[in-house]
Amino acid sequence: MSHAIPGLAELFDEAPCGLIVTRLDGTIVKTNSTLCVWIGIPEHELVGAKRLQDLFTVGGRIFHQTHWVPSLQMQGSLAEVKFDVRHRDGRTIPMILNARRRKRPEGEFDEIAAFVAEDRNRYERELMDARRRADSLLEAERKAQHLMRDRALFAEQMVGIVSHDLRNPLSAILMGVQLLGRVEAERRARVLGHVQQSAERAQRLIEELLDFTQARVGKGLAVQPVPIDLHGVVHDALTELRLAYPGLKIDHHAEGAGACVADADRLAQLIGNLVSNGAAYGRSGTPIDVHSAVAGDSAEIVVRNLGEPIAQEVLEHMFEPMVRGETGSNTVRSVGLGLFIVREIARAHGGDMTVGSTAQDGTSFRLRFPAGDR
Amino acid sequence: MNVQKRNNIHVQGAGPATLVFAHGFGCDQNMWRLLAPRFADRYKVVTFDLVGAGQSDRQAYDSARYASLQGYAEDTIEVVREVGAGPVVFVGHSVSAMIGVVADLKAPGTFAAHVMIGPSPCYINDGDYVGGFAREDIDSLLDTLDSNYLGWASSMAPAIMGVPERPELGEELTASFCRTDPDIARQFARVTFLSDSRADLARLRTPALIIQSSEDLIAPLVVGEYIHKLLPRSTLRIVDNVGHCPHLSAPGPSHEAIEAFLGSLQFA
Repeated sequence: MSHAIPGLAELFDEAPCGLIVTRLDGTIVKTNSTLCVWIGIPEHELVGAKRLQDLFTVGGRIFHQTHWVPSLQMQGSLAEVKFDVRHRDGRTIPMILNARRRKRPEGEFDEIAAFVAEDRNRYERELMDARRRADSLLEAERKAQHLMRDRALFAEQMVGIVSHDLRNPLSAILMGVQLLGRVEAERRARVLGHVQQSAERAQRLIEELLDFTQARVGKGLAVQPVPIDLHGVVHDALTELRLAYPGLKIDHHAEGAGACVADADRLAQLIGNLVSNGAAYGRSGTPIDVHSAVAGDSAEIVVRNLGEPIAQEVLEHMFEPMVRGETGSNTVRSVGLGLFIVREIARAHGGDMTVGSTAQDGTSFRLRFPAGDR
Repeated sequence: MNVQKRNNIHVQGAGPATLVFAHGFGCDQNMWRLLAPRFADRYKVVTFDLVGAGQSDRQAYDSARYASLQGYAEDTIEVVREVGAGPVVFVGHSVSAMIGVVADLKAPGTFAAHVMIGPSPCYINDGDYVGGFAREDIDSLLDTLDSNYLGWASSMAPAIMGVPERPELGEELTASFCRTDPDIARQFARVTFLSDSRADLARLRTPALIIQSSEDLIAPLVVGEYIHKLLPRSTLRIVDNVGHCPHLSAPGPSHEAIEAFLGSLQFA
């Protein structure tokens, strides 16, 4: 029975890990065949010819400079650092490196042991992927909760405003009905007129709410586009509006032909909302200009009123639900859904709304939509 | 906000001017151990950790504030206001050299001069400009950072490897050196390597010393020359050194270069 054990040189060369000795600048001065076989590069092409960092990917080389070098300098040793080591054939092999800086009689060296870590690498990647998935799930959950809180708050505010806004016309109606029993015949007509106006206001509010719900919960507002004459539709809508706002001057400018495809009732609703908005926030005594045109492939309606310019940050949120101007008088206030519905009508026609406001030209709301196949 | 605690500020020495040392990506103020103390006999020497690194207050890390060099530059100005006395020379390594530039433009007059060690205003090649890297290289760095996430976050290097013969650091500091929250490291890597400070650099009028290693993968010689050409009041000193950290691997020559530069500024 022999008790002979392998010589040190043999142990070094065939150790079950890659062994590398480098100068402090990384130049390889000694390595073993285990490493050479792993990376497919013969010893004579490494020793004196390559530096440790030359074996890494570019990202690994940066990491070597920013983490490995300073740590080794400061701590004298490093453990379990993972690098992707480049094989001669171009693929990379994940390796775990341990290193120790040693002062020997021959000088100072970094002594490094390397272990292939394919399985650990796969496992770590799975762990990290799982962590990333968990993080993104958490983020999604957080967003969903946020959205839910927003919705709940919105609903509460909405109930509050609707109750408030419905109370006004309803109490006017009740008061009118009580009056009807007491007043003489000739005043009844006037009281009835007020009652009707208030009832209509309440009805408009309910319709807006229904439209809003449809737009927000459903798939947008329903429209039934048919070939129409844009100018005629605007003219008819303005005629009705002049009756509703007897003191208001509304001018209409029609430009060119008016043939286009749209839902006439929805356009009338849009014009009604924009004009009542202009009447509420425009400078009193100034007219509202309504402009209609079909040019090329697009149709447009512009409603303009004069008055104080609206700040840019307000303009940006103009078409969002529950946004309301500061100077609304009581008779025209609504839940602030009017402009939201205006934009929904525009979008249902494949178009959109824009708004601009300057001191000189006042505030202009512009609807533009494809004129369609007429 | 306690700036002292947030940035783990350390002050040594005293003198007619203050030297503020800011470390680069990857490590912390202990990087200056071989260089900064050499000035403490004649200057006030300040070292600090960038938020997220070393022993800085991790609670102060805000991913929005530190999404660009701006947040770090604001911190730096606050550090100088907290402890600076007399003219202040900002010594920035790597990304911190650019943090110094951004801070200088934000608060003109804060710095009397800059010492930039291994600076680069832009790491990614762009047309005629050679930064040294392609975008994919930075992605592979992020990959390497990620793959060292587990080991790095839990590593107990000195314990496993035995006590080194001449440790530059005591055990308590080794525990935090080069180790940081992986998410912070990732974001800081992005900010460091994807920032483009060339336009800012072109506006700098403060005197500057550029210490360029003769061989540096991260800030190659052409980048040092580019900066020198761009800055009207700059001095370029090439230090015989392989690597990105001449203050660690060639502290002597780095020290001499800075001394000569400080002499030319005539503070005393």
